[in-house]
Amino acid sequence: MPIPILKQGDVLIASMQAALSDADLADLRDALAERVGRLRSRGVIIDVTALDVLDSFATRTLRGIAYTAKLRGASTIVVGIQPDVAFAMVQLGLSLDGILTALDLEEGLEAINHGRALDDGN
Amino acid sequence: MTEINVRIEREADIVTARQKGRELCAELGFSMTDRTLVATAISEVARNIVKYAQRGEVVLDRVDDAGRHGILVVARDQGPGIADLELAMRDGFSTGNSLGLGLPGAKRLMDEFDLSSAPSAGTTVTMKKWLR
Amino acid sequence: MPELPDPSPTQMLMRDMGINEHALERRRAIAAIEPVDLKRIAALKDIVTSHVDEYVSAFFEYLSGLEEARPLLANKSLAERTRRLQTEQIVSMVQSEYGMAYATQRLELGLIYSRAGLELPVFLGAFHHLLRSIGTAVLHRNEKSPHEAFQNFMSLKKVAFMDLGIIVDVLVYERQRVIRQQQDAIRELSTPVLQVRDRMLLLPIIGVIDTHRARMITENLLTAIRNNRAKVVVMDITGVATIDSKVANHLLQTVTAARLMGATVIVTGLSADVAQSLVALGIDLGKLKTIGDLQGGLEEAEQMLGYKLIQQASVVDGARPLAS
Repeated sequence: MPIPILKQGDVLIASMQAALSDADLADLRDALAERVGRLRSRGVIIDVTALDVLDSFATRTLRGIAYTAKLRGASTIVVGIQPDVAFAMVQLGLSLDGILTALDLEEGLEAINHGRALDDGN
Repeated sequence: MTEINVRIEREADIVTARQKGRELCAELGFSMTDRTLVATAISEVARNIVKYAQRGEVVLDRVDDAGRHGILVVARDQGPGIADLELAMRDGFSTGNSLGLGLPGAKRLMDEFDLSSAPSAGTTVTMKKWLR
Repeated sequence: MPELPDPSPTQMLMRDMGINEHALERRRAIAAIEPVDLKRIAALKDIVTSHVDEYVSAFFEYLSGLEEARPLLANKSLAERTRRLQTEQIVSMVQSEYGMAYATQRLELGLIYSRAGLELPVFLGAFHHLLRSIGTAVLHRNEKSPHEAFQNFMSLKKVAFMDLGIIVDVLVYERQRVIRQQQDAIRELSTPVLQVRDRMLLLPIIGVIDTHRARMITENLLTAIRNNRAKVVVMDITGVATIDSKVANHLLQTVTAARLMGATVIVTGLSADVAQSLVALGIDLGKLKTIGDLQGGLEEAEQMLGYKLIQQASVVDGARPLAS
């Protein structure tokens, strides 16, 4: 099932769901890449609020999306990581280095719109 | 005690396994944070099954020992097995090794961890987490 | 997720203590209860059940003589309930059925005694008094065959001691629970997360940081970040007792986790000496945002949030954050 991608100004927003297959994620990455290029988006927001777990696979996926988006000139912000998920991630040794993060969608939009110069990975 | 058996064949099964793990943890009295730790560990080992063995199972159960109790997670498959156990348990994350099996990570998340595997003999990962 | 009905305190205790069929089997095996014992106990069934009120009275008479048992006896409904449960306990001792229902009764008793603050020596004394009254009755009933009476009674004692084991385990477990709760409360109090400005948190860390405490600190901080929608956290480690590589890694993990939730962490109070020794130990402090002292850290945080502090001669209009 394709993940819906919303457009808000020059920002693309996609919400990740828990039961996504490898194929779904590859499709998401390609769809975002295509749209970023076509719409000249400045930013991509990936909302992971619905993910109960962010494991190494999910992290690799996010890195892949961020990398592809960057190649087309857009920065990626991951939003919605919950306290227990963040805790599990650091225990696991994952850090999303090089990818911006924000508390939620609202914060993510603000970060992109204000073009705030956050250093890579905060 | 009823043990829960989740067959792992597709990615969707990984989600089922960790949700069941989460539920059992809740029943056993684990905190929200611990539930996520266990679910994440289950996710890592279940994904290995899908990726390398195509099919296997995750078994969840309560475990008791001298007055304390916790959750037991066993992930087993009849896949190709791991040739070099030491290498598999070496931390690949710091070097960004995308071939990492996630096993050292899962070990960090749980209290007890045991890996047994051999080429053509399948793999069994046994993990336990105790209630604080 | 479907809501499960709340288990009763006794059921929760049973779960927490891991008392299941298997555990009970072990206890019966340890008490060495054999078929011959069950036969002997059956022979006592009548004398135990027909005089149960006497034995329970003996139990309470003993308690009434002790200051320490006052909390239990003073509370009328509690005493009533205890009397009833104690009566049931004695009767069930001779029913030869020692499974989950049996254990549940003992757990309930143990819980009541624990809640009433009944101490071990007191309970043991009362229990012994109760056993003695049963023993005396058994002997009197069997004056012609004292040897047999003694044997029967000794078999009953096996069960009595198994009961004792369960109840004592409950008392100990509950006492430990209180201690654990107190420890948690202390830890909680000692890791406050303070909101000093809108979107800004202050996390002063004081004392010894072990793995458990580091975890509590991280959990508290992450929850606070979500609840306060914090964008900046000033983590002051001036008061941390020892900063070795383990502690440093704990702190780095806390910082990384906060970052995953979109919050920037400014670490203050990290002395140059400690920083140097950590680097020498191979700890990568590269991504850590550090400011020497707390004041500097707070100012930096405020600046990041767009606050600017201007000192004025007089107060005009109240303080308002100025847009930069």
